[in-house]
Amino acid sequence: MSSAPPRADSAAESDGWPGRRMLDDLRTQLPMAAMTATGTLAMRLRDLTGRDVIDLESLQELVSLVYRISDVSSSHRAGRYTVDDFGFDPEFTEALMPIFHLIYRKYWRVETFGAEVLPERGGALLVSNHAGVLPWDGAMIKVAVFEAVERHARALVASWFGSLPTLSWLLRRTGQTNGHPDDSLRLLRRRELVLVFPEGVRGTGKPFSERYKLRRFGRGGFVEVALRAGVPIIPISVVGSEEIHPMLADLRPVARMLGLPYFPVTPTWPLLGPLGLVPLPSRWRIRFHPMVRTDERDPGEADDPAHVMRISDQVRDVIQDGLTLDLAERGGVFRG
Amino acid sequence: MSGTRRVLVTGASGLLGGRLASRLEADPAIERIVAVGTRPPSVDLQRTDFLRADIRHSAIARLVRTLELDTVVHTGLILDPQRVTAHAAHETNVIGTMNLIAACGGSDSPVCKLIVASSTAIYGAEPADPSLWSESMPRAVPARDPFTRDIDEVESYVAAFAQRVPAAVVTVLRFADMLGRSRTTTFARLFDLPVVPTVFGFDPRLQFVHEDDCVAVLEHAVTHDRPGTFNVAGSGVVVLSQAISMLHRRGAPVIPFVASGPAMFVLNRMRSPGSPPLALPAHIVRLLRFGRGVDTTALRDVFGASLRYTTAEAVVDRGAHRSGRERRDSGARGDDEESLERFIETRTAAWNGHHTPASRRRAGARA
Repeated sequence: MSSAPPRADSAAESDGWPGRRMLDDLRTQLPMAAMTATGTLAMRLRDLTGRDVIDLESLQELVSLVYRISDVSSSHRAGRYTVDDFGFDPEFTEALMPIFHLIYRKYWRVETFGAEVLPERGGALLVSNHAGVLPWDGAMIKVAVFEAVERHARALVASWFGSLPTLSWLLRRTGQTNGHPDDSLRLLRRRELVLVFPEGVRGTGKPFSERYKLRRFGRGGFVEVALRAGVPIIPISVVGSEEIHPMLADLRPVARMLGLPYFPVTPTWPLLGPLGLVPLPSRWRIRFHPMVRTDERDPGEADDPAHVMRISDQVRDVIQDGLTLDLAERGGVFRG
Repeated sequence: MSGTRRVLVTGASGLLGGRLASRLEADPAIERIVAVGTRPPSVDLQRTDFLRADIRHSAIARLVRTLELDTVVHTGLILDPQRVTAHAAHETNVIGTMNLIAACGGSDSPVCKLIVASSTAIYGAEPADPSLWSESMPRAVPARDPFTRDIDEVESYVAAFAQRVPAAVVTVLRFADMLGRSRTTTFARLFDLPVVPTVFGFDPRLQFVHEDDCVAVLEHAVTHDRPGTFNVAGSGVVVLSQAISMLHRRGAPVIPFVASGPAMFVLNRMRSPGSPPLALPAHIVRLLRFGRGVDTTALRDVFGASLRYTTAEAVVDRGAHRSGRERRDSGARGDDEESLERFIETRTAAWNGHHTPASRRRAGARA
């Protein structure tokens, strides 16, 4: 786990200032030292109390995260990386993955079902329900897909995110792109896994009382894209996302003023300020359903609206049934 | 092969025109090359007839007819409108093109091929844009700044000409932002600054095309018949912060993403010692926020050009030229611009066989 090979000019930089080298050494050795110390502490505590007080596995993940980030950031400082045409940087994304993995496993304790339908190669359109005010469901599906087949699902996001500072580039860097039909078609033709939420903001912005009731699936545009690209559709149902930010009310005038699609009021937001952005620790289930074989149909069917709507409804029904099933099986929202 | 024999190159004083003319000189199939520009060309031309003329002048129509020019290459558009006012850019781009196209049209016109060096700026830059623009995709919103509006208008004139004269081969080349040896393109100037201004919280995807590739593509369009509109950009994209690190520069997020208008008013008037003010046009500020990518499949498959430089390689090459210049500069810090101007003036003098009044005055002042 060494950092990137030294650059010619980095040597020159450290020559320029004597303290620089020492600082660099400290920076590379500190995480290791910290891990050794915490490891020893964890052992001691276990001996004393008879149970795991500090979870060594998570600790290890955190340390490897620190290393990877410093690794990636040094190669990124020199501009030595490539992003694809959509701005996606796999190296950067995989460096961040441990954080999301930790949230996935420890915070929302996500259980995944049916991931064996995910193809090892080739394009597919992943279609999921959408909920929870902030698009955490997208992040968790991406982790689940990466865990199963080590592929990055490329989610389509509302173009509105492209106008927000930081998020605009962060979303692109981690594989998302604009929800433009041309983008999804291009990605699918490049044999990528593309993740879409046909409900859009109608899904994330629905009140808590209507949780797990699917909204209209747009105008079936996702079916058209899958037919044209000749790829199968994989329906996904996500349970747990509705409870992370229970939306009690939508302050429409405020939303309109700020140019947002909705302005939610949850038990913690805006009451507790930034703390209200912390999602609640509900338990999650992500279920991948068997493929809808849009790849075996004639691409010309994309021009027949009746046909497109029929497939769209079929996908919607599969997801709704999945939600009903998992809601019953999950038991308690937070514990169980 | 095409029937190109006699070529008119506009914008010969610009980045591309002069170099294109000099490339065409090497082609024996081309009988005659006439170059027009408002300033002397930046390269040494041998058998090209250079005319100091404005394309807004109606004499262009007579020129085309008298010399029976069959091909017009319009590289006279101002694609990096920083050193001129929006009004001056409009005059050259819109009125100039209108006049040039009027000169090419008409039943008695010998012109059977028109090539226009346009810009990918025509696509604008919006958060809702597709990640890659194909040539046929229309922009979703009207142009937001004068430059984009002008390019829109220019291309609509060209399209009207193509419709009116169906026998003519009309090629529109939409160039991405150029990088290379020149220090005057928008991004060369931006990357030459001590600190590169960026928009706070934004790191856009950008595409560049190398100047050498631009000239080669223009030449290809002259020697082959390739009607249509083509995006010309190095393959791949870079993000702004990446380009800045590749050039060993530093960026500073000094442009706010709200109320960038007033901020740009101040920033555009700032200058570092020895260089002109920043003067970033509005369309570049939007590009620095939302970025842009174009699809170059048609360039490769239909037009039949393979570029030498990818987007990233164009950035690296710019860095090489830059550091080369710095090494030369470190010995004696002379005023580059002035020496270049002196060089050009002596060249013009040698050509014309006499000193222009302005150069004589300056030479006298120096002596």
